Amino acid sequence: MSVPRVAAVVAIVAAIGAAIWFVRKPADEPTLVRQRLDSFADLINKSTVDGAGMAARAAELSAYLTEDVEVEFGVGSPPIRGRETIVGMADRLQPRTAAFRLRFEDVMVALKPTGDAASVHLTAEIIRRSITTGEESLDAREFSLEMRRVGGDWKIARVTAVQTLKQAP
Amino acid sequence: MLVLATISFVTFKWVLIPIRTQGSSMLPTYGPGELKLVNRLAYQSQLPARGDVVAIQMAGPHVLYVKRVIGLPGERVSVSQGLVQINGQALQEPYVRNRKPWDVPEVTLGTGEYFVIGDNRGMAAGEHDFGRVELDRILGKVVF
Repeated sequence: MSVPRVAAVVAIVAAIGAAIWFVRKPADEPTLVRQRLDSFADLINKSTVDGAGMAARAAELSAYLTEDVEVEFGVGSPPIRGRETIVGMADRLQPRTAAFRLRFEDVMVALKPTGDAASVHLTAEIIRRSITTGEESLDAREFSLEMRRVGGDWKIARVTAVQTLKQAP
Repeated sequence: MLVLATISFVTFKWVLIPIRTQGSSMLPTYGPGELKLVNRLAYQSQLPARGDVVAIQMAGPHVLYVKRVIGLPGERVSVSQGLVQINGQALQEPYVRNRKPWDVPEVTLGTGEYFVIGDNRGMAAGEHDFGRVELDRILGKVVF
């Protein structure tokens, strides 16, 4: 085999090896956080598609939240505290009001030096579907999240709505 | 061919960003579903001007607000009975067709702060996102 041919074979083998490594390498923590959030959105979306609402998935929803989770929607809305409260609220959502899809965009993850907590900044897109006309409308909101790794899983510990356009002086 | 593809990629990735509008807050100027381009270089050598329609980023560049700049840094902005007041003077806004009697208390814009609002004032103020935004959130000017 000539030298150029050997070099070509080595290059191809190296490229295949690199591709396999890239595909199979263990995900880093920021990637795991993103995957966890995508999975959370999938869970919410599944509940809106199968007509069962969140009631059937309350236990699954709990797995994504820390026990002391806090949600702050901003001015005029009192904070919601505790996993049980949030799951209870989701439980009361009627399937017919749940005609929406949730999607996270521009998810930026900053891991804390301890490695077991992360700050996340993202845009949540909610695509609502009108029950009567079937027409879709999109609403987007910016959120800041604190996530903690509990028992090997990343969980949402705090959600704060970010006012992109500020009204209060 | 490769050069053309490269130029197109660079242009539409970093200079003229294609966006599709959603919602009705910019009616009648822009309706939902319209394809527009955002010039990311528009404010490299100059600052946003009153009347410019700008794209404002949320957490990142994939979801944007499209709004009109009505207030510039240091100005006092309020809305009284649907009419925008800048430093106490009514602002002429030929792009607004319908107005509901919005009332927004006066705010003084800080350094690097702009007041942005949609053209559709015929909707309820509570359903319309508007307010102050920092310059670094303005991704570019909406053109075409």
